[in-house]
Amino acid sequence: MTGYLQIEEYHRPQDMAQAVDIFSRFRNSARVIAGGTDILPKRPGVKRIAHIDHLVDISDLDLDYLKTENGHICIGAAISINRIAESPLLFSSAYDALSEAANAHSTTTIRNRATIGGNLCNASPCADLALPLLVLDAILVAAGPEGKREIPSASFFKGPNYTALNNGEILKEIRIPLCHEKTGTSFLKLRRHQTAIDMALVNVATSLTLEKERCKAARIALGSVGPIPFRAKEAESLLTKAKFNNEVIEKAASKAAEEASPIDDVRATAVYRRKMVEVLVRRSLEKSLKRCGQ
Amino acid sequence: MKKVPIKIKVNGDWRELAVSPGDRLIDILRDQLDLTGTKEGCGEGECGTCTVNLDGKAVLSCLILAAQADGCTILTIEGLQKGSKLHPLQKAFVSEAAVQCGYCTPGMIMAAKPLIENEPEINDSKIRQHLSNNLCRCTGYDQPVKAVLKASRERKENNDV
Repeated sequence: MTGYLQIEEYHRPQDMAQAVDIFSRFRNSARVIAGGTDILPKRPGVKRIAHIDHLVDISDLDLDYLKTENGHICIGAAISINRIAESPLLFSSAYDALSEAANAHSTTTIRNRATIGGNLCNASPCADLALPLLVLDAILVAAGPEGKREIPSASFFKGPNYTALNNGEILKEIRIPLCHEKTGTSFLKLRRHQTAIDMALVNVATSLTLEKERCKAARIALGSVGPIPFRAKEAESLLTKAKFNNEVIEKAASKAAEEASPIDDVRATAVYRRKMVEVLVRRSLEKSLKRCGQ
Repeated sequence: MKKVPIKIKVNGDWRELAVSPGDRLIDILRDQLDLTGTKEGCGEGECGTCTVNLDGKAVLSCLILAAQADGCTILTIEGLQKGSKLHPLQKAFVSEAAVQCGYCTPGMIMAAKPLIENEPEINDSKIRQHLSNNLCRCTGYDQPVKAVLKASRERKENNDV
């Protein structure tokens, strides 16, 4: 019996140094595996993951924590998405977007295994958890042969299934700066049939920080409407320093729709997706605003 | 290819096996341990037919490598029955006519088990949300939802496991 997938060797390193060593030794023929929910269903019918002979399982590296440390919320890359969805540490208006994205990701059965690190490193344009991290200015910490490296979430995604991680580098931790201001965040996701399993047609996260009733900072992140999850910076700049009213929010939402570059595919047309960016951004901004200082 | 030695506790018994690095959990459950109650549907995580419990949580056995389950406790549909006594979920699926062809049933039941054990306030919408990873092509979903609700009530009344 040769196994369902054609894999030469399964590695289960016991610490990060060992993991990096194995991963850099096999380079392009190795992949990191944690939950496995993105790697194992690939290519139905073809029982081989493209060019991969080695799997490096990072489940024994104690990367399943979620804690507050040195002014940051620190999240281990191999924590399951359900544990993020259920964490009381994130039950606050400033981090609602992250809880909401975790709850909107696939189904509870898959979320028992799927990890936040996997969702990010798979770098799908529709990755749900990428969006809250973009609006929360998260920092991604990678471990590699040259030591640790911090990558801002805004420069982590390089293309579909392609990240800023170098050869031999493994995502270790996600750090979110603790928020002490009047900030509200929100995440919204539109699916084709609104069934849990389907991926997003459009997903959106927003964050607003208020100071003296004016917008001190605004963040808008868009998913599924470009090659990577990205921030709609022109729309954000329309909000900065503005006093909120319906008109300002609608203008920002329509600017965000202009910044999107959606495509036609089996799920929806580009025209529909762009229209929905406008709707979702408007609703998400309204929700974020309501949550400011709550 | 290098075989991986693993030790897993399946339905109460520790088993030592040598698995291929590419074997999934469902492959060894069915082909090495003859536990064919767990069915494979789509093989890509969409249908939930292969759901088992791993360390008390509902997981898809087609999306876990057997090697990854090393050291874990696994419960399959075969492990629910105690002697001749059916689990409340099994009984309720029969009495509520929630089984037609039966292919999705083991997965539905194994997905529902952690829910009725861990969720004190169970209701229709929670069950539907929880079973959203389990597809049925015959009965529709009303009967399975009713069955889970009934099993949860019965479990509470009898303080059953």
